[in-house]
Amino acid sequence: MDSRGRRKVWLGGAVLLFAVAALLMFTGQGDELPPPAPEVKFPSRMRGTDFERAEKRRTWVMPTAQDAGVAAPVKPRDPLLAALPRGPGRTAVVIEANALRHSPLGELLLDCLMRDGGKNLEQFKALSGVDPLQDLDRMVITDEGLILSGDFSKARYQELLGERVSSDHGPGARVYEPGDTSIALPDGGTRRGRMDNAVGTWNDQMLVLGRNPDEVKTVLDRMDGRGPEEGPPLLDENSTYGEMYGVLAVEQLAKLLGPEQAELAQRLKDVAQNVELHLDTSGDVAMVADVRGLDEQKMTDLGKSLGGALSMARMKAQAEGNTEMAQLLDFAKVRPDGTSFKLELAVPLSAIQEQLAWCRKPAGSTPPAP
Amino acid sequence: MNPVFVIAGYVLREAASRKFILAFMVGLTLVLATVALSLKLEVVDGALAATRLFGEVVRAHITSVDVALRPIFRAAAYLVFYGGILFGIVACSDFAPGLLSPGRIEHLLALPLQRWHLLAGTFVGVMTLAVGGTVYAAGGLTLIFGVKTGYWTMGPLVAGGLACVGFAAVYAVMLTTATLVRSAALCSAAGFVLLVGGILAGFRTDVSRYLEAGFGRTSFDAVTLVLPRLSALAVGAADLASSTPLKPDSLGMLLGGVLVFGLGALAVGFWHFEGKDC
Amino acid sequence: MDLLVPSGSAFGLIGPNGAGKTTFIKSVLGIVRPTAGTVRVLGGSPEDPAIRARIGYLPERLHLPGTWKAPAFLATVARLKRLKPDAPAHLRLLERVGLSDAVDRKIGGYSKGMRQRLGLAAALLGDPSLLVLDEPTDGIDPMGRLEVRRILQEEVRRGVTLFLNSHLLAETERVCDRVAILADGRVLREGRLEELARGGAKWRVRFAPGVETSALAAAGFVPAESEARISTGTPPGLAADGAREGVYLVEATDVAVLNAALDRARASGALLMELRREGADLEAVLLGAVGSGPGVAA
Repeated sequence: MDSRGRRKVWLGGAVLLFAVAALLMFTGQGDELPPPAPEVKFPSRMRGTDFERAEKRRTWVMPTAQDAGVAAPVKPRDPLLAALPRGPGRTAVVIEANALRHSPLGELLLDCLMRDGGKNLEQFKALSGVDPLQDLDRMVITDEGLILSGDFSKARYQELLGERVSSDHGPGARVYEPGDTSIALPDGGTRRGRMDNAVGTWNDQMLVLGRNPDEVKTVLDRMDGRGPEEGPPLLDENSTYGEMYGVLAVEQLAKLLGPEQAELAQRLKDVAQNVELHLDTSGDVAMVADVRGLDEQKMTDLGKSLGGALSMARMKAQAEGNTEMAQLLDFAKVRPDGTSFKLELAVPLSAIQEQLAWCRKPAGSTPPAP
Repeated sequence: MNPVFVIAGYVLREAASRKFILAFMVGLTLVLATVALSLKLEVVDGALAATRLFGEVVRAHITSVDVALRPIFRAAAYLVFYGGILFGIVACSDFAPGLLSPGRIEHLLALPLQRWHLLAGTFVGVMTLAVGGTVYAAGGLTLIFGVKTGYWTMGPLVAGGLACVGFAAVYAVMLTTATLVRSAALCSAAGFVLLVGGILAGFRTDVSRYLEAGFGRTSFDAVTLVLPRLSALAVGAADLASSTPLKPDSLGMLLGGVLVFGLGALAVGFWHFEGKDC
Repeated sequence: MDLLVPSGSAFGLIGPNGAGKTTFIKSVLGIVRPTAGTVRVLGGSPEDPAIRARIGYLPERLHLPGTWKAPAFLATVARLKRLKPDAPAHLRLLERVGLSDAVDRKIGGYSKGMRQRLGLAAALLGDPSLLVLDEPTDGIDPMGRLEVRRILQEEVRRGVTLFLNSHLLAETERVCDRVAILADGRVLREGRLEELARGGAKWRVRFAPGVETSALAAAGFVPAESEARISTGTPPGLAADGAREGVYLVEATDVAVLNAALDRARASGALLMELRREGADLEAVLLGAVGSGPGVAA
């Protein structure tokens, strides 16, 4: 082939190659905007919405000081926080039910809850007069029992607890002792049952469940500012960020670690004092556990051990093909900070969506094996 | 031996004698050695528990080694990609004009070679140089972090490979420019222009949204449709280096597209050089 | 232009600056494509690499890689010529061009003449059938030129066709047997050197001082200066100087006529000092073809 012929080949080849290149790049990258990069925001401080929320909850009016010469003790102005147990070694976890329900995770969970068309929910509403999706604001799990806050003005206490022994406990509060419960069924019949928990109500805003009436009364007393001071509040008002937060006793946490991590659990019990938890579901589900202790060196070592354990667990999950677990532990990290360290864990919302995708399918389909 | 490889050897031998390329390699070695000697990584059960650079703590959190190294490898991938291309544009800009200079080109063309052998050989020589430099930098980094942490990954090397493909497209345009004008400065300028165009092409969908609909946007879309999507490739390289899920739909297709663009640019150079009187 | 270079000849190309000599050489090598017409070299097209493989070329300003050493350069050129690098042969070649003492030195440290020698060695690689040399002795000292000339003559004797472009006309004259004169892209004259340089039946005669010009004129002798003035336009002042030297030209078709004329001159009392056949050197030929003036060079 002469030079002129070769030139034609090169030029034709060039045009063809550019066309193929454009096609390949177009197909390879696509022309859609890529989704924003996942960025997990870990709950680390009060945000604007948290401050607003806390502000609205300052409904408890401090009683007038009886002794003018003594300064009144500092108390949370949120009655629910006031009702929390106090002192070291105690546990209280607050679930912001309303915020959680309106979070992306809540939407997913609601889909699962409503798979039967909301039949069970309607039944519960009809029986109790309370719509959990509308009336429930917070749910607190403590080592003393359960506290629910919200609007319980429509609750049918009389129908549900009317047969129990009850008594007023201060202004607006009433305590029901454990006893029989009768539930009116939609067909007109009645179902009877036994409930071993004592129940307390407070101004149609709180519902307290405890093992016995005394525990319930203690909680109600704290709510009204009558309780004996046992130390600082377990949860400061400035720690009420996230959709779930609270303080876990290390003993409780050690139990959660399971027998496989017995050594780590023991070290946790030996070194740490308590753990403050915050869970954020406003986007991806992110959790921060602030583990506090006294000895800086021991806490740093514990943090390293915990980081190593998480890393090992991640590698194990990867090796076993457990992608969900590996993904969960992908964001796991420990941030040492002197006598405390923060443990961060997160699950991308997309992973949860994938896991809960079966909830969106018609009823009858079975959930995947965990 | 194939004349393409002989010319490539010619170019490599020329490059080896260049002081600034040698200085770059020495500099790179010093950086790697400094990182290797000054960086102390404490690894506990696969987690990076503490990092000290020159004795100072530079990281404050403990996490899995691979996760901890992600931002480092990601940054390294971007550095290798864009830094490598920029260095390549500057360092390799005068290889082709030098080879096409009077007194040398006549001698070469009088030898029993096809004209395209000269350009292809220069291209292969420069790419060998680029691949060598990339393997040295990315491999050194992988080695340092691998030895120090026990975490071995091919990510940075693969990312380096992607950077080389990106540079191949850029250099093909520079080489073609050299056949039009025998000027190292203009070759560099062509390389820079393509680099900027390639970055825009990678973000063409985002950029296009900000352009007013009409001729401007249509022109932009049309031009960037053909240009190599270098920034998209860089993102892919960073994803690969940091072992994070890939963003482009198909990195293979994108990579192939950029490579084929380079070959197309080279074919234009062959076409022009074939008809050129030297 | 229409130029035929016979195989095995030593062909010189001369002409003024801008005549197109280098362009012509480039077209012979396929570096420049003719806009019209064809170039045939060694029976084929110069665009054919197989043809170019049989050509050794030394460009006018060969650019050599300064950091390399001569053997490495030759090895690379050999590879590009599709030859197997043969280090001992390359060393012999370097010795032949007079670079045996410089094989361990970098080319960057070579003098201009040494670079030319290396370029010549590169051109000689692979025993080419055609040597195209553009100013091969440029920058080489007189002794070196002798060596280069000897090498070129050896190659010609070996049967290699030599195509030489040199601004040193004496060198062309000494090496080449055929010459083409190029000006403005045209071949003005072309042929064997002795044919171009032949002055006809004229003889240059030098008599001892004191000759009688009129008697010599009667015998057919004319002062050389006036002859030169007629053919080249030399200023008349120079002719008077020539006449004082007693140099005359006489036309004689054969030896008998010449001797008869000499007898007549001697009879008039003139004493013969020198006699030689009149012929033009290459410069005169070039000047004659192109016209005198500056810029006569390769």
